Amino acid sequence: MTVQTKPNKVIVCEGNEAAARGVALARPDVVSVYPITPQSSLVEALSQMIADGELDAELINAEGEHSVLSSLQGACLAGARTYTATSAQGLAFMFEPYIRAPGLRLPMVLGIVTRDVLSPQCVWGGHQDAMLVRECGWIQMYCETVQEILDTNIMAYKVAEHPEVMLPVNVCHDGNYLSFGIARCELPEQGLVDDFLGPKSINWHVALDPERPMAVDPLTGGSNNPGPAMFVRYRMGQTESMGRALRVISEVHTDWGKRTGRHHAPLIEEYRMEGAQVALVTIGSMTGAAKDAVDAARDSGQAVGLVKVKTYRPFPAQAMTKALANVKAVGVVDRSVSFAWNGGPVYQDTLTALALAGQRLPIQSMIGGLAGADITQEHFERAIARVFGLAKGEGSTETHWMNEKD
Amino acid sequence: MGKAFDSIVFHGKNCDGCGDCVTACVKAKGGSDALSSRIKILPDGAGGFELALCRQCGEAKCVMNCPSGALTKNGDSGVIDWADDKCVNCLLCTVGCAYGGITYEAQIGHVIKCDQCGGQPACVAACPHDALAFSTIAGIYNSYGDKEDMFAPGLSACQGCNSELLIRHTMRRIGPNAVVAAPPGCIPGMGTVGYNGKTGAKVPIFHPLLTNTSSMLAGIRRYYERQGRDVTVVALAGDGGTVDVGFQALSGAAERGEHILYICVDNEGYMNTGMQSSGSTNYGSWTSTTPVGPSLKGKRSDGKNLPMVMMMHNCAYVATASLSHMEDYYAKLDQALETSKNGFAYVHVYAPCPSGWRFHSSKTIDICRLGVETNFIPLWEFTPKGGLRFTLPTENPRPITDYLKAIGKYRHLEPAQIEHIQHLADERLSLLSKFVRDTGARPAAE
Repeated sequence: MTVQTKPNKVIVCEGNEAAARGVALARPDVVSVYPITPQSSLVEALSQMIADGELDAELINAEGEHSVLSSLQGACLAGARTYTATSAQGLAFMFEPYIRAPGLRLPMVLGIVTRDVLSPQCVWGGHQDAMLVRECGWIQMYCETVQEILDTNIMAYKVAEHPEVMLPVNVCHDGNYLSFGIARCELPEQGLVDDFLGPKSINWHVALDPERPMAVDPLTGGSNNPGPAMFVRYRMGQTESMGRALRVISEVHTDWGKRTGRHHAPLIEEYRMEGAQVALVTIGSMTGAAKDAVDAARDSGQAVGLVKVKTYRPFPAQAMTKALANVKAVGVVDRSVSFAWNGGPVYQDTLTALALAGQRLPIQSMIGGLAGADITQEHFERAIARVFGLAKGEGSTETHWMNEKD
Repeated sequence: MGKAFDSIVFHGKNCDGCGDCVTACVKAKGGSDALSSRIKILPDGAGGFELALCRQCGEAKCVMNCPSGALTKNGDSGVIDWADDKCVNCLLCTVGCAYGGITYEAQIGHVIKCDQCGGQPACVAACPHDALAFSTIAGIYNSYGDKEDMFAPGLSACQGCNSELLIRHTMRRIGPNAVVAAPPGCIPGMGTVGYNGKTGAKVPIFHPLLTNTSSMLAGIRRYYERQGRDVTVVALAGDGGTVDVGFQALSGAAERGEHILYICVDNEGYMNTGMQSSGSTNYGSWTSTTPVGPSLKGKRSDGKNLPMVMMMHNCAYVATASLSHMEDYYAKLDQALETSKNGFAYVHVYAPCPSGWRFHSSKTIDICRLGVETNFIPLWEFTPKGGLRFTLPTENPRPITDYLKAIGKYRHLEPAQIEHIQHLADERLSLLSKFVRDTGARPAAE
C-alpha cells in the first residue's frame, strides 16, 4: 500500500478546480464537456489540463449534455474510464442517457455542481437538480468542503468500478458556495492515487468490442414467453448492488483515510451527537454553518448534535436511525423541495428510515438555501431553537421555509 | 452459393425498334446482313418490341440437346460456348431454345449465337435509348457469397423489406471488426440486437437511444483510436433517429468530424411503430399521423432533405443511394468506409417500405428504381474536395407520376399536389446541380 509520507503538495483552489484535479488524478481516458453555470470552470480546468499535456485524455467538445453523457457511455462500453460534470438544466437535458447508465451497470463518474432548476429562472445553487434524479439508480455522494470534493472524486471511481457495485456515481458539490469557494486543498501524489485505484475495471460485464462480440441491451421483458423474468432480475441486481454499495463506500473511505490521513465520513457524519437531545440533519456545504451553530449552542449548554448526509443514494437508513436513536426531536434541512409532500427529500428519507425502525419522534422539514440563498449560522440557531421546542411538544412540525423572509 | 454471371438486360419499354443493336452486332461479328445478327428485335404484337437473344441459360436446353458436345456452359463467363469443330449441324439446339437465342444462319452454313463480345457487348454500346444494358452486378453477388453474413438467418423484417437487404449487404462488406449501432426502429425491431439475452448479429451491436447514435459511436471510436485499434463504428439508423430526434447528435458529430460511418435507411417515417410521419416524410404522403380525410390530404410540408443538410456540414463524404442500383451503393459504401477512418461519412439510402407505403412486397426494387428514374431520388456523392457528382444520369427523367402512381400512400393525391411534388423534384435537382464542380472521375478518399 502506498501511503502518503512526504508532506502533501498544498494548493489553494475553488471547488470546481478541486474536482477537476481529483478527476485528473484518476486518469480518465475520455472526458466530454459542455459548459453550464456553475459547472463551467470545472470543465474549463479539465480542458486546460488536457491542452497542457498534464492530463492524457481524449477531449470531446460535445454539442450538448445529452451527447456528453452519450459519448461517454459509448466510450465506457468500449472500456474507457470517463468523466463529465453538469448542473441543473444540463442534467435535465442529459436525463435520457442518464437514466440508462445504472441499468447498463456502467461504472461512470458524473459530477453534479448542484443548482436550482427552472422555473422560476435561476442560475444559483440549490440541490433540486441532483435531488430530481435521486431515484434513477445512480449512487450520490454530497461533499461539504473543497478538500472533500477532490478526495471524493477519486474515491468515486473506486466505488463505481468495484466488482460488487458496478454502478455510476454522482459526486455532488454545491454550486456557488463550493464551486467557487476557494480553500486550501491537499493534492495527493499520482502514485498514491494509481495504487489506490488499481487497474481500471470498466466493461468486463458488458462491452462493445469486436474481440468479444455481443449484443448490448437486447430487448427484454413483456408479458409473453419468455416473459419478464430477465428484466426483473436486472432490476433486482441493481437494488442488491445499491445495498452492497453502502459497505463498499465505507471500505473505500477507510482505505483512503489510511493512505492519506484524511478521514471523511463515508455515509453520514455524526457531529457532537454524544448526549444530544435534539439533532439537525444536513447535507452539503450548509453543514459548515450548521456545525458553527451547533458549537455555539453546545457552548451555551444546549445538547444539540448534527448528522450530515454524505451518501444520499443508496440511503444509509441504518446508520441514520442509529445516529438518531437517542434524540427527542429532529430538524432536517434540505436545499430542495419534494412537491408531493411539501417537504424536503432528505426529510422524507429520514422520516421513512425512522418509521421503519419504529422510532417515533417529532421531525420537521426545513427548506433553505434555494436558488443560492445563504443559510447562515443565525438561521441554524433559530432552527435549533425550533427543534428544542418540538422536543418539548411546542410548535408545529409543518415544513419551515428558512429563507422565506430574507 | 452458385456462381452468378454478367448478363445483357433488355428494358422493352425503352425500345423503339431502331435496330442499331442489330447493325452493331452484324458489324462486330463480321456478318453481311441483319439475318447474321445474334440479336434480333421483333414486334411484340402490342405496339412494342421484344428481344430474341441467347439468355446464356443455367440449365440450357441447347446444351442438353447437343449430341456432339459442341455447346458448353463456360464456368468463368457463364456464356454458352459454341465449338465450330465439334458441331455436326444437326440443329437440335435451335429446337431446344425457346428464346430464339440460337439460330441457323444459311449464308455461313452453321448456327450462330451471342457470345457477349467477351464482356463488352457491341449491341449495348450501340443502343441509343437505354433499352439494353450489360449488368455486371453478378460480381457483387459472387463476392457477397464469399463473405460471412453478420446477422442471424431469421430476422423478422416484413416481406419485401429494403432494410434487411441493405444491412446484410452492408455488414458482409464491412466485416466483423466493427461495432454497430441500431437505434430503435425497424432494424432492431426485426431482431438484429436480439431479445432476452440472445443476439441477432455476429458483430457487437447495440441499441443506442433514438437520440444519441452519433454520440455513442463517437465515444466508442475515440476510445479505440486511443487504444490504437481501427474499429469501424457504423450506424444503421432509420430516418426518425437521423432527421428528427437524433439530428442534434448527428450534426454535432459531423461538425467535430468524428470518424463514423453513418448509414441512414430512410423509409420516410416511423414504420416500425405503425407508419407515423417523420421529418423525412414527403409532401402529400399518407401516414397514420398525416392521414387523409375531408380536412387533411396527407403531409402538409416537404420532407427534410438530410443528405443536402449533411453536405452543408462539409462532411468528409456524403452520398445518396438506392438498392435498385446496388453497384452504385457498393462503390459508395467502399468510399464511405474508407473515408470514415479519418472523417465523418454519411450515406443516405432511400428505402421504400411495402408495409408503410402500401405497395406489393414484390415491388420494392421496382419502386426504388422508379424513385431514381424520376429524379425524385437523385443519386450523388459529395466530398469537400470534389464537390457534388451525380453518379447516375439525371437527364430525361420519367414523369413523377410514374413513381407516385406505383405507391399506395400517394393514391389520394390531387393534381395540384402531384404538381407540387414534380416541382419539388425539379427544384431539388436544380439546387443539387449547383454544387457540381466537375463531372470527372470519382475523387479519392480524403
